Amino acid sequence: MMKRKATRIFLRGFLAALMLSAVLAGAASAAPAWKFNGEELTSPEKVVGAAEKSGLTIPGMTTTCENFLYTIVVSNKSGTGEGSITELPLYNCTTNTKCTVVAIAAEKLPWVANLSTISTKNYIVIKGIKVSILYGGKLCAINGVTAEVTGSAGGWLDNTTESATFSPTTFSTTKTELRMLENTVEWNGFFPTEAFEWHREQALSVS
Amino acid sequence: MAQRTGPERFLGSLLKAAGAGLIPVLVAAVLLGLAGCGGGSDAQTTANAESKTTTQSPSVSNKGKQGHLTSEAEQAGAASRVEAAGAARGSGKHGPAVAAPKGEEEPEITPQQREEATVASISFSSPSLPKTESVAVLPADYTCDGANKWPAFSWSGIPAGTKEVALLMMNTQPVDEKLFFDWAIAGIDPSSDGIGAGELPAGAVVGKNSFGRNGYSICPPKGKAETFMLLLYALPKPLSSKQGFDPLELREEAERQAGNAGLMAVSYAR
Repeated sequence: MMKRKATRIFLRGFLAALMLSAVLAGAASAAPAWKFNGEELTSPEKVVGAAEKSGLTIPGMTTTCENFLYTIVVSNKSGTGEGSITELPLYNCTTNTKCTVVAIAAEKLPWVANLSTISTKNYIVIKGIKVSILYGGKLCAINGVTAEVTGSAGGWLDNTTESATFSPTTFSTTKTELRMLENTVEWNGFFPTEAFEWHREQALSVS
Repeated sequence: MAQRTGPERFLGSLLKAAGAGLIPVLVAAVLLGLAGCGGGSDAQTTANAESKTTTQSPSVSNKGKQGHLTSEAEQAGAASRVEAAGAARGSGKHGPAVAAPKGEEEPEITPQQREEATVASISFSSPSLPKTESVAVLPADYTCDGANKWPAFSWSGIPAGTKEVALLMMNTQPVDEKLFFDWAIAGIDPSSDGIGAGELPAGAVVGKNSFGRNGYSICPPKGKAETFMLLLYALPKPLSSKQGFDPLELREEAERQAGNAGLMAVSYAR
């Protein structure tokens, strides 16, 4: 009887210890931080980036912008990386139809971003995205129509290339979604990054 | 009662533990343990960062004030920052270069353009078509390879004050430098929330499509795939369209009225 009680007490203690270690390990992996030259960022840093040929596909039509710039202020809060996208100017946008892009702009900035680790890979998840596009052209099926793309986007952060990649795969992994009304919008882009302020030219990584 | 071996005793204890409500704790612990396995990446990514750091020239390991660009550049927009960062970049630049943009920045939509534009705000879908995350493929029954009847459509979010609803379907790519209309319906009651497959709502009229028919037809050339855009217009002023009306005129009037619209794309390959 005494032996069984001792075994039960041992098992409870063992499981409690296992839970505690798992919680600590889980927290460490789920909360990556911004690092420059391998050192954790201690104060906010402005990072600029530019993607080439990034495309937003609304059903039936892809809008491609030759350049897709952005400014994101990155910081770590309690060991977790976060960010705030403050600018997103777009350059030379066209479509794969007869529609022209009369105007296009990122709206409701800043957009908030958070870092997370999913299955050993690090991701940036941007929320509150809103891009308005006005299409034009006499031979454009949606001439004079403004479309709004809203939602969230998850991109894979690759430390070796210091870039964020957005694709249907990264959207699916991060359970993020961009929509235009009830239609899913696809966003593909490769965004190299570069610190602009105190950590200029330092290697940017996330871990 | 037979004497139990060590493993049997352990299993027996586990079963007892289940009775004591420890199994949920065990399950939670295993799940959390699995989540913790992701921690392996940290070491890997840190190693990546460290290996990159060591490949940099000492000149780029600057930190602090000397790494900061001019306040003018900082205050300027993202493009100026990218250019300034490029100009100030040392030889030890890591990763891919962030290229300065070419050409002009796209303009924002002006208040006047917003006022004159048709806003895509109406939820518009088809219960006849397979659910898909992208462009739905029309089943053959809704093309000239089948009954060539229009699918059912449903909508919601028609703004208050709408006097008439109209529907246009056209190829996304023009034919012979002209818009190609496959289907047009005007005079739909704004209080309605849909249209049945092949059914013309009471009071509505059908326009003459680009095949020269008063009706619907999806019939790309054999061996060709086409994408079609459907626009559901909520018009603030009533039209007086008659059977066989010109869809181009309806479209131009809809553009002038600058109401709201629902958008949808479908495709078909023959």
